[in-house]
Amino acid sequence: MSETELLTKPIEQTSVDTPWNVVVYDDPVNLMEYVTRVLMSIFGYHQTRATKLMMEVHEQGRSIVWNGDREKAEFYTQQLQSHQLKASMEKAE
Amino acid sequence: MNLMPTLEGGLRLEAESEVDWQILYAIPHDAAGTDLASRLGDLVTDDSLAEDWNDFVVPDLKSQFDNQIEHVSDAIREAHASAEGERGTISIKPAESSIWYGVLNQARLSLEEMHHFGNRDQVDLTGQDPNRRTAFFRSQFYCALQSEMLRHGLI
Repeated sequence: MSETELLTKPIEQTSVDTPWNVVVYDDPVNLMEYVTRVLMSIFGYHQTRATKLMMEVHEQGRSIVWNGDREKAEFYTQQLQSHQLKASMEKAE
Repeated sequence: MNLMPTLEGGLRLEAESEVDWQILYAIPHDAAGTDLASRLGDLVTDDSLAEDWNDFVVPDLKSQFDNQIEHVSDAIREAHASAEGERGTISIKPAESSIWYGVLNQARLSLEEMHHFGNRDQVDLTGQDPNRRTAFFRSQFYCALQSEMLRHGLI
């Protein structure tokens, strides 16, 4: 491959502005009330919103509980995992 | 075994027999049966994240979860050592309630991983292996303790 070709090769990269979703998955162990309280504690959600998200997790198997920049998504995902919730993050479509 | 709230806002567990102590010792023992940090780390699958997550976050979580187990194990051992005969108490202070809750969670996750109980209301233990039956009852006991912690606002 010539030097010119190297320079013109498109570089695949993720924009720093790409939003990320923080996702919580259902599991058979964590109690529903506990999941609600963790969502309230970490994100500062009102109980109504936290309960709605918890029910989404319970009924649909997963819920996007937060959306935003990568750095905060990493922080929130780590916080959720430290509370032993099945949580991950994914690029928003 | 008795469980009651304390005036300080915590909970007190009262063990009344050697069987009670065995059940309490089973909490950290069961909790140690799973590598929860790695299981949670496996959920992070994005190529741009997974390696760093496994290198940096998973060890932190593992350390946190292991410390929780050690704390509860020490508390049970110390309470047993200072018990009068078979009767002794363990105080769960509000400040350490999340540690206890976390260990109970790890224990239940470990038992679930091993026995796949699924929905607790639909478990049929008729004719089941004794190990599975006792594991289910321990899991139910751990769940009851967690529920009491939530009910008393400790979490």
